[in-house]
Amino acid sequence: MKQIIVDGLKYRYPGAETLALHDVSFEISKGELIGVIGRNLSGKSTLCQSFVGLVPHFYRGAYGGKVIIDGIEVKKSTIREMSRIVGMVFQNPFTQISGSKETVYEEVAFGLENIGVRRSEMIERVEQALEMMDMERYKDRSPFDLSGGQMQRLAIASMIAMKPQVIVLDEPTSQLDPQGAEDVFQAVERLSHEGWTVIVVEHKLEKIAQYADKVLLLDGGRRVDFEIPSKVFSRGDLEKHGVTAPVYTRVCRALDCRMKDSDVYPVTLDAACEVLKKCP
Amino acid sequence: MSLIQVKNLSFSYDKKRPVLADITLDLDGRSTAIVGQNGAGKTTFVKLLKGLLKPDFGEIHIGKTSVKEATVASLARKVGLVFQNPDEQIFKGTVRDEVMFGALNLGQDKETAETRAREALERVGLGHLSETNPQDLSLSEKKRVSIASVVAMDPEIIIFDEPTIAQDHAGKEQIKHLIRGLQEQNKLVMTIIHDMDFVAECFERTLVFNEGKLLMDGLTRDVFSRQDVLHQAHLEPPSVTQLGKKLGFAETFLTVKELVSGLRNGGNR
Amino acid sequence: MNSISLYTERDSIIHHIHPTNKVIYIFASILVPILLPSFAVLLGGALFGLILLLIGKVFKRALPMIGFVFLILLTVIIIQGLFHPTNSVLVFTIGPAAFYQEGLLYGLTITLRVMNIVGAFLILVLTTKPSDLVDSLVRRGLSPRFGYVLNSVFQILPQMMVSMKTIMDAQRSRGLETEGGLRVRIKAFLPLIGPVVLNALTHVKERAMALEVRGFHAEGKKTFLYEEKSYIATKPIQWGIWAVIGLAVIGRLMG
Repeated sequence: MKQIIVDGLKYRYPGAETLALHDVSFEISKGELIGVIGRNLSGKSTLCQSFVGLVPHFYRGAYGGKVIIDGIEVKKSTIREMSRIVGMVFQNPFTQISGSKETVYEEVAFGLENIGVRRSEMIERVEQALEMMDMERYKDRSPFDLSGGQMQRLAIASMIAMKPQVIVLDEPTSQLDPQGAEDVFQAVERLSHEGWTVIVVEHKLEKIAQYADKVLLLDGGRRVDFEIPSKVFSRGDLEKHGVTAPVYTRVCRALDCRMKDSDVYPVTLDAACEVLKKCP
Repeated sequence: MSLIQVKNLSFSYDKKRPVLADITLDLDGRSTAIVGQNGAGKTTFVKLLKGLLKPDFGEIHIGKTSVKEATVASLARKVGLVFQNPDEQIFKGTVRDEVMFGALNLGQDKETAETRAREALERVGLGHLSETNPQDLSLSEKKRVSIASVVAMDPEIIIFDEPTIAQDHAGKEQIKHLIRGLQEQNKLVMTIIHDMDFVAECFERTLVFNEGKLLMDGLTRDVFSRQDVLHQAHLEPPSVTQLGKKLGFAETFLTVKELVSGLRNGGNR
Repeated sequence: MNSISLYTERDSIIHHIHPTNKVIYIFASILVPILLPSFAVLLGGALFGLILLLIGKVFKRALPMIGFVFLILLTVIIIQGLFHPTNSVLVFTIGPAAFYQEGLLYGLTITLRVMNIVGAFLILVLTTKPSDLVDSLVRRGLSPRFGYVLNSVFQILPQMMVSMKTIMDAQRSRGLETEGGLRVRIKAFLPLIGPVVLNALTHVKERAMALEVRGFHAEGKKTFLYEEKSYIATKPIQWGIWAVIGLAVIGRLMG
């Protein structure tokens, strides 16, 4: 049984004329790392918010189709209930800080206090989450005294302390420097290795190519493709959908050097190097 | 021709830990990227150029003007700075008024300011949105509005802080196009930027900052060929450069085109 | 750390008194002088407040604030001494100005009354961490939502000051003149305050969503990361203050 089932999802924001999501369907198995790509306004963020119930419960608006996570239909549930199953990290690390806590340690505990986790368990979970995100050494700092990358890792730690089943990250690295982005991506990969289902929206396609099991390509609120990275990035019409393939793929495409025994191009540095060395 | 002269520039916020130490360089008409980790002193450096901060030691001259003696508002004619976060400047009710704001501050009459605003918006691909309320725009559009509002002031020197943030493929192309256009108008374009692929494609010269010092200053190609320098500054070379190196090429490639033709010709492996 | 709180970290008995007791003390410092408006009570109360500040080792921090309030109140004493309607007993004259006993006493009473309250208030803000106060109020039934708002004021305001600085730089960079006469500054006001407000508004929406997914509106009992701090003699002090208020009520009824 699939962990996430999206079936014919349609959505229109209140007051909008066009659909933000248009008949989107796909399924995700437990433990998969999914990259969501597409131009701005292609529906990526809206899709993310539909997992945790912000769409439709926070925004309202017109909604059709189904999103089912762990057997629970989002539309018939509440944000409160969904946030126990789905953890979400937003684009701007600054706005995710509760603003009411004085230290990183307390900040991670914030959500656990809200949902009434016992003290002893809370401490255990906070420490675990800080360790996983490599944030222990900042535990006594003010959350506002962190760099963007550290803040974003704090946001992820705060979310995983809540022990969700599915983790959704909406452009988590768009405001970070390369080192910060790399740190966040390694953290994301660690989560995936620990068995979490991870969905990440990202413009840095080299990263998606490197880490994702599958890529969902959206354009104009519609699903264009949902496949392994090399297949999606080998599409000839990628630029028409507002996306540039990773540099490695573009080089191989220009020379028409494909992966061995297949019709797709390599998408990572190592794969491209191997293919190009053998390519005539 | 030297447009900006920086001599022995040092600065600290608390008079104890220097944020910038003894920077000396000359900036000419070549487009210049400023790279380095967060906290390396890049933003502080451009704020000093703009006169928003005053140096502890050293001198900055923009043409013949000493930055120390000029007010920020008067420097606005010569140096334009686009801040990283557009939300920290946008306040008007329409995109056009927002873009006209700077030009009007410089004392231009309404008509000229309007013409300039229209041209600037066209150049960032937002001509069709001039009557929109900027608050209804996406972050990437807002970012381009803030770029247009500085372009409309028509300064000789334009400095960007992370222009490609939140931009998708189309947005990046638009900004690339704008930067080339500004260069053709003989303006000095500088940028603080983390996106090395973008640096490789758009900027002739690169300054590497590390811990408040100017670690390297040279042609972009030369900078990206120096693995040791990049490593010390915690930077990764552009993807295309990495691939070229990994394939055993001795030369440093900056664009997909270069690498492809290098591969076609057998190159220098 | 960046904070607008006046809290001063010291090791004193006063720091170990329960925050709600300090709140009740403020209450008492307002109520008792109203019930028993005698000069002795006022003076005693004011002195008691000063002694508590001394014990709390925050007297030095409090001094400038007390001084400031006193300076304002000094004008009250002077004006009342000169012009109070019941003035009849002349005390002294400075040039043409004649000061009367009734007015001076009346001014002094007001001064002591305010000093009482200011002293009690300073004890609270100087010796109590804001988050401890809010925490203890939430534990006593204050809505956690309201507690959040109180706490975040102390955290977010300093952040807004930082972003105000960036906004100022951004607008100056676009040629906005912010230094100069009143006209210049009024003209600069909107471009500076506009982004602050708009920014805050967009942040509110994002923050609301982020809070929502962190169980902010979860039902059921909230738990706390920290055990409640141990405070000294909470009940006795509490009953003590109530007793003083009670005695004042009785005194009033009998008198």
